Amino acid sequence: MNKKKSGDKGGTGLRAPTSLFLRKQSLDTALRELGIIRMSKQYLSRGSADNAHIFDIFSLAITDKQILSVSGASSIKVHSTTDADFPLVQSIDGAHTIGCHHIAINGNGSRAITAGFDGEIKAWSCEDGHWTADRKLTGADAWAIAISEDGQYLAGVTQEGRINVWDLSADGTRIRDHETRGNFGTCIDLSPDGRLIASGHEDGAVYIFSTETGRMPISLLGLVNPVRAVAFSPRSKILAAAGDSKVIVLYDTSSGEQIANLSGHSAWILSLSWSDTGEYLLSSSFDGKVKVWSMETKACVATHSETDKAVWSAKWLPKVGRTEGFATAGANRSIAFYREATG
Amino acid sequence: MAEPTIHNLEIDGGPDPSVQQFIDNTLAALVNELSRSPAEANISITLKRRASPIACIVNPTTGALEASPRIDTYRKYSWPGKTAYEAWKFTVILRILAILDQVIRTGQLISKRDIYYIDPEFFRMQYIVDGIVDDLAYTIGVNRTALNVEAAAKGLVTGDFRLIRGSHILIDAHPCPQAVFHRLARISYHTRALAGEGIMVTVSCVSDLAYAGKGYPDFMTRTFLRAMSDSASKQSRRPPRFYALTDGDPHGMAIMSTYKYGSAANLHQNARLSIPRLQWLGLRVSDIIAVPEVLGDTALLSLTMRDRKKIMAMLRNSPVWASDGPEPEWRAELQRMLVLNLKAEIEILYGCQGGLEGWINRRMFRQE
Repeated sequence: MNKKKSGDKGGTGLRAPTSLFLRKQSLDTALRELGIIRMSKQYLSRGSADNAHIFDIFSLAITDKQILSVSGASSIKVHSTTDADFPLVQSIDGAHTIGCHHIAINGNGSRAITAGFDGEIKAWSCEDGHWTADRKLTGADAWAIAISEDGQYLAGVTQEGRINVWDLSADGTRIRDHETRGNFGTCIDLSPDGRLIASGHEDGAVYIFSTETGRMPISLLGLVNPVRAVAFSPRSKILAAAGDSKVIVLYDTSSGEQIANLSGHSAWILSLSWSDTGEYLLSSSFDGKVKVWSMETKACVATHSETDKAVWSAKWLPKVGRTEGFATAGANRSIAFYREATG
Repeated sequence: MAEPTIHNLEIDGGPDPSVQQFIDNTLAALVNELSRSPAEANISITLKRRASPIACIVNPTTGALEASPRIDTYRKYSWPGKTAYEAWKFTVILRILAILDQVIRTGQLISKRDIYYIDPEFFRMQYIVDGIVDDLAYTIGVNRTALNVEAAAKGLVTGDFRLIRGSHILIDAHPCPQAVFHRLARISYHTRALAGEGIMVTVSCVSDLAYAGKGYPDFMTRTFLRAMSDSASKQSRRPPRFYALTDGDPHGMAIMSTYKYGSAANLHQNARLSIPRLQWLGLRVSDIIAVPEVLGDTALLSLTMRDRKKIMAMLRNSPVWASDGPEPEWRAELQRMLVLNLKAEIEILYGCQGGLEGWINRRMFRQE
């Protein structure tokens, strides 16, 4: 009758004698209150923007008050996250005629960059919550994109696996061009401290570049199968990478060592997102599952499966008071919102 | 055993007198002009131009890819003309007209390929012959078959039917007792062996006919399937169903689009050849990813740069894939292919439970 104290909710507890069960519950509660262990967390559905797009939503980006989404349709949709029913506040129609696959937003939410299926990269700027077209980055070649915290630099990885960096303050000129041995670049991230760029590739390779020197300070042991998401932790100390191997690998960004392997997904992992504090990592997969992982226990603390269709993007929302929440979107074309259950 | 139904498929009305008339008139006019003094002679042939594929729409009535409403334009080819190219083009048209005149008079059939190989040096490229034959048919206002120009065989068909052209029975297929799926799987296997390329399988399960073809369908293939669709709906109360099974790659999707909506090269024929009832059986990349333990996700292939460019061109240029177009799921599939950088070939299905036959069976049952 020795039961595990971590892991998902709804384990084998119900088969135990009632007295034991109750005792375990109160013990867990006590331990949790004392901060000794962290058990499963509960996130409740807080509504959704149903059929926000008429095609698959491929990417989400978050500001303090808004969530921007791009899809196989031509428009960028802006929904408010401050209202309880997440109303549509702006639709930027005709942004990318044949659809858009990536969107990235800087730290203060003043600049967004989108990458369309037509190969075009466009910049958008925001004033008082209203977005307008800024410019087109003519000749810029990138599949996946990431923007620096201050919005000055744009990093992109191409279909051939090259990594480019553009300075958006200086007429969008390309300031770096890194060669990798990797092939198709599926994902990219810029570290919040601005010092590192990480890219994930179809052949499983994961690369880290220094933005200052343009060199690879460390080499990482990549994954076996295609990598589809890379994400730096808020303090830039950890890089998370995941993809078709169904495992999330955590790397120490100073040594390149693998810190942990988080396994639990049973389908390809499509996106990763760190919570503000770096305590939790969010992941979404091809079978519609979304998981929250505790960095303290390196274990899955919550699993959601509202849909059986691919969740292309999952992102933490800004903290409201002390509660955290996240948004998910994908092949079911709606944006779903979740908040941590309190009390 | 149920009484087998013989389907009479009429592919068209046979020879068309307007063709001979056009050739006679054109040649007579040329002879007439040639007899005049060079200063006042107007030696030329005028052809109606086929609509450009750039501005086309999916016609909601016919469900076919058609030219947006426009006024016909004509192109005049003169001799000796302003340039050496024009003079050559004029002689090419004249030469092809002479060849067609001969085959029609003698009741023979010829293919575009045959025409080209009569004098490859003179015709220079196959597409020159193709273009002029199509332009001539369009100018006269007939199908290419009325010019006695046929395509080489490139498909397999099984079932009980009679193929009729005019008053002749071209093919009288004997009923055979095998189950339609079995035959379908067999013929698609054979087509695959023959072709080694993307296949297209169509089956109309009510009328118990199955067809498998290789690559992009040609004019005769589409004529045949359309006849199957038209005559089967006339003869049975339940309308026939058509399913497409193609490779899960940009070419597979484009092949399916050509069957259902027609080709961008011959917009004027699409209304007569399209199969609006065609349903998409597969193969979708997500089918493979969703059940990797059954089919094995290593069986998926990466897109090549050419595949990616082809998808982008399809999304950009054809109304079939437009965001407000008739096939949102096709568009979504192309976009997912780009995002995942993956494609799937039908061979994958040979390894699944019951093989290709089993997969088709299960999938069609699910779509009922």
